[in-house]
Amino acid sequence: MTALKNLAAQADTSPRESRLSALLDGELDDAAARAVLREVVADAAQRKRFSEYCRIGDALRGDGHDSARLRGRVMAALREEPTLLAPMPKAAARLPALWLAAAAVAAITWGLWSMAPRQEDHARMAANEQARLPQAAHDDGRMLPYLAAHQDFAQAVVAPSEMRFTRVTLAGADR
Amino acid sequence: MSAAPGEFLAKAAWLLCLASLGAQAAEPLPPAEAAAWLQRMADASRRLAYEGVFVFQHGDSAMQSLRVSNRPLASGKDSRLTAMDGPRREIRCTQDGSLSLLTEGGQVRAERRLNSRHFPDLLPANAAALANWYSVRLGEASRVAGLDCREIQLEPRDAYRWGYLLCAEKDTALPLKASMVNEAGRTLMQYRFAEIRLGAPPKNVAAPLPEMPAAARPVAGESVGVRSLPPGYTRITAVKRKLPNRGDEVEHWVFSDGLTHISLFIEPARQPVESVRGQSKLGMINMLTRQVGPMRTTVLGDAPWPAVEAIAMSLEARPAGAPR
Repeated sequence: MTALKNLAAQADTSPRESRLSALLDGELDDAAARAVLREVVADAAQRKRFSEYCRIGDALRGDGHDSARLRGRVMAALREEPTLLAPMPKAAARLPALWLAAAAVAAITWGLWSMAPRQEDHARMAANEQARLPQAAHDDGRMLPYLAAHQDFAQAVVAPSEMRFTRVTLAGADR
Repeated sequence: MSAAPGEFLAKAAWLLCLASLGAQAAEPLPPAEAAAWLQRMADASRRLAYEGVFVFQHGDSAMQSLRVSNRPLASGKDSRLTAMDGPRREIRCTQDGSLSLLTEGGQVRAERRLNSRHFPDLLPANAAALANWYSVRLGEASRVAGLDCREIQLEPRDAYRWGYLLCAEKDTALPLKASMVNEAGRTLMQYRFAEIRLGAPPKNVAAPLPEMPAAARPVAGESVGVRSLPPGYTRITAVKRKLPNRGDEVEHWVFSDGLTHISLFIEPARQPVESVRGQSKLGMINMLTRQVGPMRTTVLGDAPWPAVEAIAMSLEARPAGAPR
């Protein structure tokens, strides 16, 4: 059994856990999702399981008290599951292990993108985009006056945080 | 502008992550009760006399300390906010307006602000209306700055706003803590009183503001229109103003649901405008610049990307000087 499976094996793979996994994978319709949510809210064990998932997400992002240990475990697990990086068809009944892997991959992708130097940023999403054209980042300080002016209305009372800029391609006649 | 796929799941995840962070996930309050809680918190931040120090943290950046004092006046707000770390900066708010004072190299630079809200005064005057756009849940009893308080969750009903975790002081409902969280439950920004004195009228608030020219003037005609706005958002400001460190004027519109504010800047496009998306490190601030007719438009706010995108993509060119 791989390290990732070991990690996931700590989860109870009862039908309820499978349904929680399906919920997190977005595989339930709204009615079913609401039913699972009611169970989760009412059941301390389910809440604990969800809390663990949240902590794993936090750990991968570098948050949380035991982030280093958790991140290390998930990263080690991923190293032993290279095929999980390839696109996978959605399974009808997915185990929590796969959700963990998907969350880890997504978090790692996000983390890599976040840590990349600005010059290497690529357009990840564009409003109504038709084409996803990776282009050079755009940050020459021209945006700072807008950020400063918006500060009058911002919830934060201090200077805006570091911003990342990417060119995007909009659909149709929109620029 | 339809709701993003998986919006329900995102909301569910947001709620459950909040629950896992410690607050018990209760059922949403009935609308009337939710509106009453929101209004109590909003009124308390304006009508109470208080003086204290709170800490502010944006994402995982360093915390900053600020001293705040408020004196209730029948004619309006009278408050002072002083940064205790870093550059000397102060914000003064009176019935005459709001002013930002920045001391650099022994010189004091004063700038008019277009808005006079700051923590703990984050909720709008008509806060009850927020119950239309947020589910309100009561959380656990807590304690902040030595005072007992009740946690209150504001869960957005759609993808166009962030969630909030507040802690309202037990007797007065003054917010002692406020966190802005995303759909994954991650804290984007937080305020928390470290010390506070309630009911003691501060002495140093009353000094009059220096005379300052108006920061903005009304917009006459409009060269850009907005086809539609995200639910609950209305335009609350439309002025011409100079941007900091720039000589020319731009139009500055602000859209808000009462809690979230999104700015739109409009100016002539002197050359073809590249569409550019901006995002702060944790995704709290989103921005999109694009050309609309002959104008360069920049939509910017501490709001989720769907809200910024929806407004930016609803812009359309109008003949110069067209009525509102």
